Amino acid sequence: MSTLRKAVVVGGNRIPFARANGAYAMTSNQDMLTAALDGLVARFGLQDERIGEAAAGAVLKHSRDFNLTREAVLGSALSPETPAYDVQQACATGLETVLGLADKIKLGRIESAVAGGVDSASDAPIVVSEGLRHAVLELNGAKTVQQKLKALSRLRPKDVTPVAPGTNEPRTGLSMGEHQALTTAQWDISREAQDELALASHRNLADAYGRGFFDDLITPYRGLARDSNLRPDTSMDKLGSLKTVFGRQLGDKATMTAGNSTPLTDGASSVLLASEEWAESRDLPILADVVDGEAAAVDFVHGKDGLLMAPVFAVPRLLGRLGLTFEDIDYFEIHEAFAGTVLCHLAAWEDEEFCRERLGLDGAFGKVDRAKLNVNGSSLAAGHPFAATGGRIVATLAKQLHERGSVGGRPARGLISVCAAGGLGVAAVLEAR
Amino acid sequence: MTAPVSGLETVELPEMPSLSRLYVAAARDAARKLVGRASARVSLPRARHHVAGVRPDLVKMTEYQTLLGETKRDVAPAGYVHTLAFPAAMSVMGREDFPLPLLGMVHLRNSVEYLLPIRYDDLLEVWAWAENLAGHRAGTQVELVVEVRHAGNDDVAWRGTSTYLAKGVYLPGVDKPGLNGQRDEFSPPAPTALWRLASETGREYAAVSGDFNPIHLSSISARALGMRRSIAHGMYTASRALAEVGPQKGDTFTWDVAFEAPVFLPARVCLSITDIADDDGTWARSEFVGWNASSGRRHFRGTIARL
Repeated sequence: MSTLRKAVVVGGNRIPFARANGAYAMTSNQDMLTAALDGLVARFGLQDERIGEAAAGAVLKHSRDFNLTREAVLGSALSPETPAYDVQQACATGLETVLGLADKIKLGRIESAVAGGVDSASDAPIVVSEGLRHAVLELNGAKTVQQKLKALSRLRPKDVTPVAPGTNEPRTGLSMGEHQALTTAQWDISREAQDELALASHRNLADAYGRGFFDDLITPYRGLARDSNLRPDTSMDKLGSLKTVFGRQLGDKATMTAGNSTPLTDGASSVLLASEEWAESRDLPILADVVDGEAAAVDFVHGKDGLLMAPVFAVPRLLGRLGLTFEDIDYFEIHEAFAGTVLCHLAAWEDEEFCRERLGLDGAFGKVDRAKLNVNGSSLAAGHPFAATGGRIVATLAKQLHERGSVGGRPARGLISVCAAGGLGVAAVLEAR
Repeated sequence: MTAPVSGLETVELPEMPSLSRLYVAAARDAARKLVGRASARVSLPRARHHVAGVRPDLVKMTEYQTLLGETKRDVAPAGYVHTLAFPAAMSVMGREDFPLPLLGMVHLRNSVEYLLPIRYDDLLEVWAWAENLAGHRAGTQVELVVEVRHAGNDDVAWRGTSTYLAKGVYLPGVDKPGLNGQRDEFSPPAPTALWRLASETGREYAAVSGDFNPIHLSSISARALGMRRSIAHGMYTASRALAEVGPQKGDTFTWDVAFEAPVFLPARVCLSITDIADDDGTWARSEFVGWNASSGRRHFRGTIARL
């Protein structure tokens, strides 16, 4: 590692996140990603700049968007000679684009990069039934009228019913919320603790907007200037009045509501990464170093671990490699898929038996200081356009670290973790510049 | 049990019989068997049916793999081998001298040993016979055994034992077990999966398995046989659980399932799969149980285990 040069975060730009079927109901993934890129170009004077490489992705993706990032680059003010590729790693997509591109910069293969992600739950792809799909495929290959009629004759009335996308895990048929409800109950996380975390997320995000923290991180779009899911005036009473929506079969152990779960959201984010030389030669800011990252996966299919528990494994491996503990972390950015997800992660790291038996540690990994957790709000308040979340977190944390500067003579340090479908999790460490 | 039971006359079938034709014949014979109940036979046919030259059908196997969620490998899924070979057993049940009515039989248990992998292009021989006629608190049960061998190889590749119950049929001289069949209390564990079974589930499995038993096809055809709605094939549920145990089971294993409350369609079925490892951490078996998501009634349970 010591022989590699550094990859730094110059800055970021995103559009405000909108609850599904709201402000961005009619904008596509490509539209929103282009808007995020154009805002980044405007902020850092990248007009017609040939960037080393751009990588982004979307979780809910139309098949026509096979080159989504490249198409967004072509539609943006970046040089059309900027190469691009798509990444898809469920909700970890955004963070993975940052880590992959940072590695390319560290290796000297590129000097600059744009990472990002986008998702639209409103403009989601609708899939035709397998029967219709096979009939159309056969029709395309048919040469004679007879062959064409034969292909069409296979169609049944039910075949023309379209299939809407869901958040169900392919191997279990359980929705992500249902999976988390099982894990939340397993770790005995209370409704009150989840509502408190949701409340803190809204308060922290509102405070950050209030002090202008997002002024150079967000470009207004389609009439939105801030995330439409943000409820600055929410309270424990209001959150406590909501009905449970997941895990109802658990009876009075059901604790998850629309308030302590993320809503379906539309939005896009982008992050400008560079080598130090590239940033300095253009007189661009350097907010943070991308230090390192780690991916993990859990065997959730038959319930060995909860679906969203992979970050519990990724973080100790990452910090262990860097010789760090929670004491060395000044900011924790733990993606709030559900309040229960974050609280299960914290509980697991505090659980001696779990850490010994499952993480192979000597004892509990440690306790996260709640005053350092998601200090500028997270997904419960901002919303969670799946692939856009990683870019939101990286840009937010990089700016926060830069503002803080140093802690006790060393650079301020932040930890990111993002859970994802398929039992995936990705973690990263950033340090202030 | 390693070789076809001795003392049975081998009946050569020219080809694998068609299940739908067997069902039609069964319906035709149903009335006659009811009339002849007074002189019902109390012994099983002294015959085993043999079909040579059986080959999996790659198109059918692919349709089966698609429906059951099996990865499309070239080795045949254990449940596909069942659909391929079971018509031989049905032809035993459809014999004049078979003592129980074929239509309306309830599948109680199914037990499979998959001993040697069968590829889609393997040439196979199938033997089938009936054994262990026995009393049951609700009627009379019988086991249908099917063995599949690779052509020219004496070792059994696949052996299935399907236990059926003829409800309400009591044969003279066949013992009734005492408390046998009593069910234990069931409280559902945390599910590991949820199946949303549409009303087409029965027709879809019928199309890939050839098992067009009317109780699975539609509410109307099911009502004609006294069911309030159509029900999922037991083997559909067992085969889907088998698929969801995943690749850890390898190509050869044992697969046992006991069927309880029928799955009336459409249905939401919760499934729980528990993996059990040896001391050294290698997979030993997976236990599975399925129940109704609303009522909590158990539909089936079983085990897939290393040989």
